Amino acid sequence: MLSRVAWHLYWMARYMERAENMARILDVGASLAMLSQPGDSSAAVEPLIITDSVEAFRQRGVQASAESVARFLAWDREHPSSILNCLQACRENARAVRGAITSEMWECINDTWLQLSARRAAQPTDSAFFDWVRERSHLMHGVMQATIRQGQPRHFIVLGMFLERADNTARILSVKQSPLEAGQSAHALQGDGTSVSDQAASGPAEDGLSAHYRLSAVLRSVSALEAYRDVRNDQIDDRGVAQLLIFDPTLPRSLRRCVEEVCHILGELPGSHARVARRLSAHMAALLQHGALEDVERVGLHVFLDRFIRNTVRLGEAVQEAYMPTA
Amino acid sequence: MAADLTCLDRLVDLPTGVYDEMRDAAGLARPAYSDYMNWLAHMPEQQMQSRRAEADLLFRRMGITFSVYGEAEGTERLIPSDVVPRIIDGQEWQALSRGLTQRVTAINRFIDDVYHQQDILKAGVVPAEQVLGNAQYRPEVAGVRPVRGVYTQIAGVDIVRHSDGRYYVLEDNLRVPSGVSYMLSNRRMMMRLFPDLFRLHRVRPVDHYPALLLRALKAASERDDPVVVLLTPGRFNSAYFEHAFLAKQMGIELVEGQDLFVDDHQVFMRTTEGPKRVDVIYRRIDDMFLDPRVFRPDSMLGVPGLIEAYRAGEVAICNAVGTGVADDKSIYPYVPEMIRFYLGEEPLLNNVPTWQCREPDQLSHVLAHLDELVVKEVHGAGGYGMLVGPTSSRAEIEQFRAVLQANPGNYIAQPTLSLSACPTFVEEGIASRHIDLRPFVLMGRDVEIVPGGLTRVALRRGSLVVNSSQGGGTKDTWVIDLNQGA
Repeated sequence: MLSRVAWHLYWMARYMERAENMARILDVGASLAMLSQPGDSSAAVEPLIITDSVEAFRQRGVQASAESVARFLAWDREHPSSILNCLQACRENARAVRGAITSEMWECINDTWLQLSARRAAQPTDSAFFDWVRERSHLMHGVMQATIRQGQPRHFIVLGMFLERADNTARILSVKQSPLEAGQSAHALQGDGTSVSDQAASGPAEDGLSAHYRLSAVLRSVSALEAYRDVRNDQIDDRGVAQLLIFDPTLPRSLRRCVEEVCHILGELPGSHARVARRLSAHMAALLQHGALEDVERVGLHVFLDRFIRNTVRLGEAVQEAYMPTA
Repeated sequence: MAADLTCLDRLVDLPTGVYDEMRDAAGLARPAYSDYMNWLAHMPEQQMQSRRAEADLLFRRMGITFSVYGEAEGTERLIPSDVVPRIIDGQEWQALSRGLTQRVTAINRFIDDVYHQQDILKAGVVPAEQVLGNAQYRPEVAGVRPVRGVYTQIAGVDIVRHSDGRYYVLEDNLRVPSGVSYMLSNRRMMMRLFPDLFRLHRVRPVDHYPALLLRALKAASERDDPVVVLLTPGRFNSAYFEHAFLAKQMGIELVEGQDLFVDDHQVFMRTTEGPKRVDVIYRRIDDMFLDPRVFRPDSMLGVPGLIEAYRAGEVAICNAVGTGVADDKSIYPYVPEMIRFYLGEEPLLNNVPTWQCREPDQLSHVLAHLDELVVKEVHGAGGYGMLVGPTSSRAEIEQFRAVLQANPGNYIAQPTLSLSACPTFVEEGIASRHIDLRPFVLMGRDVEIVPGGLTRVALRRGSLVVNSSQGGGTKDTWVIDLNQGA
């Protein structure tokens, strides 16, 4: 397969996944903001922290509210990770290689873009819209499963999806979770690896009820609330959530599941130039397969997630070097 | 639109001097259209309207669009696809098909000749300076002979039917003819919307075109099971949909210039498994952009070293480099002579009489009859830079006169042909609109022509310009076999 085609497929999938994740984060953010005290904007800005967009939003000079943040992250023309731009980038990448995907997939992606364009005038930021984004992403994956052959095009799509998803789950955990370690200041991570003080988990000590809502929100944003009940059948607490989202081998959005999928696909792809990528992914998988929550607590959750996010970025780079070298 | 109208109720008679594809002089259906016209007479106009809306939706959803030059980058539009087919009698098609085969065969002999021994120039049949001084002549490939001497794997010959009922070739399109994806999409759409019509008619299929094209492309290489790729300028090109469509249909890679490189006169593509050898390039970019080392140095679309590899016989380029010399409008008038010269046959298809403005006596004739003639740029395409005398205002004619006189060598003139008309579903219901026909002639080991082609239709009333860039649409083109004796 052409390297350029692999590149487009990989980014097509990453952008679709990014749009879906953004919709999840915003949907949960909106429901949390309804629970918070009037005048308290900390819940409203959380989606900005998770998606690394605090500075970009500040430059708009708009008062932060659940509504303005959602409008920015969903519809801003200038913000590269807005849902609007993600779905457009997804479609542009698909269009560049529409011969490499099935016509059903192309029609699904194109139709998504056409429907989004029809909604642009109204710029909805309600649950119905976020549900729609998620459904379109699910539809794309379903159409892919049902129509595409096992082979490299599919591998690169799935690779992009799981790398993006791993990054997303780690970011949500890192902002929403309490630190899980004593005596260390909480901090969240930026994409470049620098830390910023955590605006979400700090503050006055929370009561059991608000912790419940906070953790439920984490779980819902990665479609894991029902899974938590099934697996733990217990009260929702920080350790249980971390255990599930980091180490669970069955949850489609856990870090372990994502990394294992990446490992598996790298094993299917031609390996002659992929030594670095394969070694790094196997290393990451081993840490998750044979690790335990105590290891995380020893270094601290945020340090652990910080390393994970950095490794995910490095893995993405290694994949690009292996299969999509620039001419 | 009234609820009780059928599709034929509002169809008016054509002005005299226009050939009506559906009806004869008495207003009765011609044999090829007899079943269809009967069907139309019972088809409620409103139902036709809803099927057309369904067709539009299908096309937009499938993303069958083209980009429009001169508008913002990435602007995409649908080419309107009409729901009324153009129907050609099978026997008439056979004659047309023989004429096309003859014509394209002679043209390939001509191209081979002018890049090698140049017999036709020595014999004085075609003036040497018209060929060797032609902007489309590529001395860089003189002496290079493609496999089997085939230069045009694909020719898209534009044909019109004049008021005398006969077909005339307008131009030969030998460089990168496009439009075949619309032929295939139109057929799929029509079969989906009107299955009843396909039960009523024996329409010859066109779906095997991609398979025939791939066979012709593979025949351009002598290697066993050669690797064929389609070279596109990229997704902002107006015909990108077609490039992607054909590559997909043929199961070959759709490559851009940046995906290819030349090493030791061999062409490779960059793949996820390392470099892979390429044997045949079906290129959809013009000669001048193929190789920045030989042609335009600023080309970002081509592949450095490609022409050297081509000269070394390590890669086939389809159509061959330099075929444009034979579809140039200044060479067009000589095609009948080429047929006589190379094949010793009389041409089966008519050429349109052409005045060459570079000749002073012909120029003065043209200047005296501007209001009757069509004047075209020798190298023009897409319906731009031309004058259609009978439909132009006095001011437009005078303006064009000045342009023509300033550079007469750049123009040819032809009588204004009255393009035949075919019923077409437009805003006011079914009405007659002018059409042309572009059959696609494939040449590999043999000449193959799928029955039909692309029918383009001028959707504006009275307009003779069928180009999609200027308000033209397309129609599904049926070649049908009539039941003998039925």
